Amino acid sequence: MTKKHPVFAYLLCVSCGICAQACPVSVLAMRREGKSGKYRNVFPELVKEGCLGCGQCANACPMEVIHMEEDGDAR
Amino acid sequence: MTSFTGKILRVDLGTRSAEALSVPPEVYEAVLAGKGLEAWYLYTHIPAGADPLGPENILAFAAGALCGTGAFLTGRWTVACKSPLTGGWGDANCGGLFAPAIKQCGYDAIFLSGIAEEPVYLFCDGKTVEVRDASAYWGLDATEAEAALHRDLDGVCRKRPCIACIGQAGEKRSLISGICNEGGRIAARSGVGAVMGSKKLKAVVLAGSLPMRCHDPEAVKALSRELGRKLLKMTLPTGLGVFIGAGGRMMGHLPYLPMDGSLTAYMFREWGTQANTSLAITSGDGPIRNWGGTPKDVRRMDAVYNPEHINKIETAKYHCYSCPLGCGGKLNIRGRKYVGFDETHKPEYETIEAFGPLLMNGSLDSIYQLNELLNRAGMDTISAGNTVAWAIECFEHGILTTEQTDGLALTWGNTEAILTLVKKMIAREGFGDALADGVKRASERFGGREYAMHIGGQEPGMHDARNDPQLGVHFVAEPAPGKHTVGMGIEYGAMSLCDICSWAPPATLHPKARDLEDTETMALVTKANACYTMLVDGAGGCYYGQMMGVHMWKLVDYINAAEGWHYDGDHYMEIGERIQTLRQLFNVKQGVDPASFKLPKRMLGEPPLPSGPLKGVTLSQHRGQVSSHWRAFGWDDRTGVPLPETVKKLGIDRLTEVSV
Repeated sequence: MTKKHPVFAYLLCVSCGICAQACPVSVLAMRREGKSGKYRNVFPELVKEGCLGCGQCANACPMEVIHMEEDGDAR
Repeated sequence: MTSFTGKILRVDLGTRSAEALSVPPEVYEAVLAGKGLEAWYLYTHIPAGADPLGPENILAFAAGALCGTGAFLTGRWTVACKSPLTGGWGDANCGGLFAPAIKQCGYDAIFLSGIAEEPVYLFCDGKTVEVRDASAYWGLDATEAEAALHRDLDGVCRKRPCIACIGQAGEKRSLISGICNEGGRIAARSGVGAVMGSKKLKAVVLAGSLPMRCHDPEAVKALSRELGRKLLKMTLPTGLGVFIGAGGRMMGHLPYLPMDGSLTAYMFREWGTQANTSLAITSGDGPIRNWGGTPKDVRRMDAVYNPEHINKIETAKYHCYSCPLGCGGKLNIRGRKYVGFDETHKPEYETIEAFGPLLMNGSLDSIYQLNELLNRAGMDTISAGNTVAWAIECFEHGILTTEQTDGLALTWGNTEAILTLVKKMIAREGFGDALADGVKRASERFGGREYAMHIGGQEPGMHDARNDPQLGVHFVAEPAPGKHTVGMGIEYGAMSLCDICSWAPPATLHPKARDLEDTETMALVTKANACYTMLVDGAGGCYYGQMMGVHMWKLVDYINAAEGWHYDGDHYMEIGERIQTLRQLFNVKQGVDPASFKLPKRMLGEPPLPSGPLKGVTLSQHRGQVSSHWRAFGWDDRTGVPLPETVKKLGIDRLTEVSV
């Protein structure tokens, strides 16, 4: 089975944090610094190893800005 | 399927035992979750006459119905108990990440009774519930305690824990203490921190990762997406904040203007609540010199507290769970005068007003320090500011002398003395000990009651009833008095409640003097405000979502989609009415006389202010307005006690017979 990981379309992200809280193993966190329009803001990113590829973050995202992409190596 | 977990957790700290209980669906249908669930449980389970700081009092933590459904602006958690400040219903709420953490442990709410023998913390990860030793964390401030718990638990738990805890103020049972999370955010009001401290409960640590569900998640998310896309386009040009003081000056002399709720979104996204400070100083909304001053007394202070100053040192925005607005922020305060910290949360309007114009203090740097000190200690900045204001006025009038104040010259605007006094209050040291239980207790001990601004023991939020008479009604008619969050005229004008509720009057342009009159329309407006706020609290919503109006933040559509219900706004407003009536019944059961909640004379405009936008304003029909508000709720218009037919109409008689 191919494992997946989340990728983010930050341009449409509203920094609501729903995805990070949905992550069952807390490898996703609101840590990535960036800008939302003119505002300095924080965005979700994988902050440590151990993503389960479960897709709960993508399922939870109301803005539909998280896409689950297959990892390079199939296992 | 609905959004409710259907379960609550009951913990007895005395016996260190816990049990999960199922809640029948009819309870959720009647009161949702959040504050509604707490009102139902606390009314039925706290015995009459229970000591607020004794084992019979129950401390409740609850998430709202919409939390975890994908609905935006629904990340508020509510803590409730019998208040040691008022002797009646007490509650406070806060954001951050704690609300979803309750649901991810599999519960809608947690109810804690009893008193632990030694300091403890509650740990729950969705599988196990344990009452653990907290002696290593007792004595730490809230931010330190949270960091230490993370240090000890992060590697052990699969999910990073969310933590609500008390600081030194709660440990020392200060009656104006609150409960903190996320590094010093605070559920501050009603003395909830003292109740937690009395139970020797340092923290509640939640590390569950259970999925949160609802009836139609795609429909909920579509509503959020619509709002999120609008917000992404809402940006103001930088620097507009310098005009806010002038805008307030103008507003002070304009008639009552209904406004579009989107203004809320613009303001909070750009500056956060601190945008209101310079507006409040000039418009008459914000109290000055212990509620006895006018804008003339603080001529240049609107420039000092201009929101652009604070925005300049903001390093990042801060969002609560599920919030696309991000009204919070982190500030870099390294190297500033009076300041011993490198970072603080962006001070809220209430904090700036309570330690700025209220005390005639023009030092923004000192506000940063006070903000961080009080947030870490877990002390309510509104209550602390009002109490310090009383002490200063008493000192100025010779009621207090340096002999009583430990040598402090408590004069208006004496920044150093204010800082020293607040540190003493936190440590309960010397004169500070007498002030750590709020202004009512302090004035009972030292005198100067005419300068003690409180309603039923609770210090009022930083908005003036003379500027907003509807707020004056809520200050006294609310079961937890003195709160500014239940309703205001300006808020009503932004919400468009008449578009979801058949009996809510439309907000219209009119002379401000009309709001001083006791009319049926006014009573329906204040009733609608209170009912909608209770509904929002049952849903776990944010007041800034509420203030964006029903056309931007579509609460009724959200609840219908999340629960699979098909009710209209009137049905949901009745849920709000039921929650409010339950809270009022709680007070009656506990022997609190609703008619004993009164505005201080000064806040009634007795004597009236000599200048400024509130010049000559007296709330001469205020008591009549309160009676009309009670009557609109179906409560006795003389005593404020809910009438038997109202209790029956709302089904509260049946609801309170439901047991778990």
